[in-house]
Amino acid sequence: MMGPEINAYLILAAFLFATGALGVLIRRSPLIVLLSLEIMLNGANLALIAFSRRFGEIDGQIFALAVMAVAASEVVVGLGLIVAMARRHLDLDVDKLTTLRG
Amino acid sequence: MGNFLVWVVWVAAAFACLGSAVAVITFANPFYSALALVGNLGSLAVLYLLLSAEFVAAAQMLVYAGAVMVMFLFVIAYLGGRAETPWAGGPGWQAVAAVGAAGALLVEIVVAVGLKAGGRLSEEADVDAFFGGPHEIGRLFLTDHLLAFEITSIVLLIAAIGGVILGSNARSGPESTGGSPARAGGTRSPAPSISAAQPPEGEAAR
Amino acid sequence: MTAAAWVCLLAPLAGALLVTLLGTRLSRDGAGYVATASVAVAFGAAVFSFFSLLGRDPEDRAARSDAWTWLSVGDLDVSLGILVDPLSVLMMLIVTGVGALIVAYSIGYMHGDDEERRFFAYMAFFVFSMLLLVESGNFLILLVGWGLVGLSSYLLIGFHHERPSAIAAAKKAFIMNAAGDAAMALALFLLIVNTGALDYGGVFGQVEQLASGEWVVNLVALGLLAGAVAKSAQIPLHTWLPDAMEGPTPVSALIHAATMVTAGVFLLVRCHPIFEAAPRIQDLAAGIGAVTLLVAGLIALVQTDIKRVIAYSTMSQIGYMFLGAGLGAYANGMFHLMTHAFFKALLFLAAGIVIHALLGEQDMRKMGGLRRLLPRTWLFFLIGGLALAGMPPLSGFFSKDSVLASALDAGTYGQILWVAGLIGALLTGIYTFRMIFMVFGGEPSAFVQEHLHKEGDAEGPFWMTSTVAVLALLAVVGGWIQIAGLWHPLASFLDPILAVEREHLALREPSGWEDLLTSVLAVGLGLVGIWLAWRIYGVRRTEAPAGAGLRRVLEQKFFFDEVYDAVFYRPAAGIARMWTRWIEAPLIGGSLRGLAAGTRDAGGRVTQVQTGFLRNYALAIAAGLAVLAVVFLSVRA
Repeated sequence: MMGPEINAYLILAAFLFATGALGVLIRRSPLIVLLSLEIMLNGANLALIAFSRRFGEIDGQIFALAVMAVAASEVVVGLGLIVAMARRHLDLDVDKLTTLRG
Repeated sequence: MGNFLVWVVWVAAAFACLGSAVAVITFANPFYSALALVGNLGSLAVLYLLLSAEFVAAAQMLVYAGAVMVMFLFVIAYLGGRAETPWAGGPGWQAVAAVGAAGALLVEIVVAVGLKAGGRLSEEADVDAFFGGPHEIGRLFLTDHLLAFEITSIVLLIAAIGGVILGSNARSGPESTGGSPARAGGTRSPAPSISAAQPPEGEAAR
Repeated sequence: MTAAAWVCLLAPLAGALLVTLLGTRLSRDGAGYVATASVAVAFGAAVFSFFSLLGRDPEDRAARSDAWTWLSVGDLDVSLGILVDPLSVLMMLIVTGVGALIVAYSIGYMHGDDEERRFFAYMAFFVFSMLLLVESGNFLILLVGWGLVGLSSYLLIGFHHERPSAIAAAKKAFIMNAAGDAAMALALFLLIVNTGALDYGGVFGQVEQLASGEWVVNLVALGLLAGAVAKSAQIPLHTWLPDAMEGPTPVSALIHAATMVTAGVFLLVRCHPIFEAAPRIQDLAAGIGAVTLLVAGLIALVQTDIKRVIAYSTMSQIGYMFLGAGLGAYANGMFHLMTHAFFKALLFLAAGIVIHALLGEQDMRKMGGLRRLLPRTWLFFLIGGLALAGMPPLSGFFSKDSVLASALDAGTYGQILWVAGLIGALLTGIYTFRMIFMVFGGEPSAFVQEHLHKEGDAEGPFWMTSTVAVLALLAVVGGWIQIAGLWHPLASFLDPILAVEREHLALREPSGWEDLLTSVLAVGLGLVGIWLAWRIYGVRRTEAPAGAGLRRVLEQKFFFDEVYDAVFYRPAAGIARMWTRWIEAPLIGGSLRGLAAGTRDAGGRVTQVQTGFLRNYALAIAAGLAVLAVVFLSVRA
């Protein structure tokens, strides 16, 4: 076997996911939140590819490609929202969106 | 020799990956964060190559780093990329709890992978040279996973339509005149501050 | 024949429903015609039943007709059924005959009233309820009819619902009747427990074994008597009847003179096997009748409202009927019921013509001298008054004297009651002619000269005067159906239902000398009363009795209302107030308020979770995910 075990890739993917989650929860700018979401998605992709390699089934890679496509769509919509917010001269601050406040 | 090379490449890519991820969430300037994410994507592509996922690696660079991130950078450029202090604002306990939650997730996954799975996740299966190549992927996309393929294309279509609608002038309505007109109705409060009734700073009671 | 009885029963109901459902699509007068027509159809059906009943052998004159089984519980089977026998047919004829005349009269009397349609619907409904009562084939349907009649009475007394006095009177009538109804229901429960049946045949057939227990039959009879006393406004449940005069005059005539208040007498006669098995209760009934006739007669002497005089007179005359039925003289009691229906309705309706002409005034002190202004009404009134006072050859003479003569024939107790009845005859003469002289005698008073309103020559609308004329005719000839000693077709007609085994309670047939003595004394005392009335009220207007104390007692109606108020109403109201203050407001209201406040409070606290911060929500998702991961890891080890 060449290189580290699959375990290592999985741990790495876990770190990526946790980092992305931290970014989503801590940052206030919606742009950065979107970027952190991308990191989380990439972490998941890495795990999928790793498992696909582990079991020799290529379906994991198929899944990862689908995830990539969906991530792209999500980024389109998210950025569209952010641009719309900017056009209405709203602050780009996630904490200011409190109309859900009960 | 080959193994050693693989190890070097892996360590480099792994560090680049983690470092760029941390950079994304810590930089104040969103432009820099986006660039860090491009780096992250690149290092991930390298890791995919190590995992015999050649096609995915290529797609990652072309689509993700090439198209999605470019779009991100366009938007950041359009918005002026206001810098803000990363950790400021919000209820105090939010940051602590966030770290806790993320940390918990990390620990759990590590436990699951490392301990619970035993040694079952260690080996690699034997794969031929065509594993991860476009031939295999294309074949599966058009036979076993045809439905996923089609639905993904529909999702992309919807996203495109959504993007057009979100960006069209009809939605901006009377607001496009600029300024800070007060208005009622809808779920938005007048610009520039949204629901100014509760300044989020100093809300320790929450 | 039973089909005709069903038609008789259901026609007024159909009339009431028709008037109700057509609503404003039917003109006001149209409602009157529909109601009158329905009651007239019922009368036709009753006549048909009567004749077909006559066509049968005397032993065969009881026909049951059951529509369906209404209640079937354990061994008890109660059906929606009617019984057509001489007693019920007689009552059907009286109710529908007099009822049709009175409803026709109302077309004239209620003309122009805003809510005329409602009136006619209620009147038709009342006739239906009364027919249900008299045609019932078992005690349960009787109770249903009893209750519906009480309801109709409430609705009609309170017809002018914008008047608080009318509403109060309606409530009073209903509540007092409810007391009687409750006693009756208890009696029915006893019957169910002890005989297992509620139909007349079943119950009466088991009276023997019912009477074997010492107290059961007495309690049953007492309960039935209480219901009868309440419905017929006898002492002590009588205070509602004078107040019921708040209703329109046709209502007073139909319900509170001719039909509903006679339901008690009907009950006594219908359930005579039970009463005969409880002789003490039957004697009590006769005694109540005697006391009532005296008390009511005395109170009537000082009344100033023309309708109240007639109301107390009704109470008194029903006392006579109770007297007769209580002593076993069922046919005589029913005879008096029939003639009383004629002349009392006549008096009420004639009084209605007077009231109508004076635009609603009922105080006799303001009236006077109407003899020349309303001559025909005066004639009718005179006929009614003489019949009431028992003057021959009018109907009242024959019926009242037959009752009194039976009393004389009934032993020592009966003789005491006989004396009471004679005194009552004296009082009847006085108060009746006091009324006549005050209203019609002398010169027209100032009030009359100012307010009398006649439509041309006619003293009242056509429907009013014509129906009163018919009733006057009946009041004259109605008594000729049973002349003691000569012929008694009514008694013979009623014989089959009254066939009893017990010898000593055979149908009362006063013998010759008792009859003669009674008649002479009764007529004589009546004439004395008339003379006294003329002396006091005809010649010059003074009020009697002169003594202030006695006067006050009579004017306050022997203080019955005040006693009832103190004994029943005030404690009940006090208890209700106490309960409201100490139990209902703090406990029930408080618990509900506490529940609401607690819910609002909890809701307020839960709301604080919704901070509106997006990041908080995202944190919640992440934290939840972490927890779930732990769960999965630990469970699926």
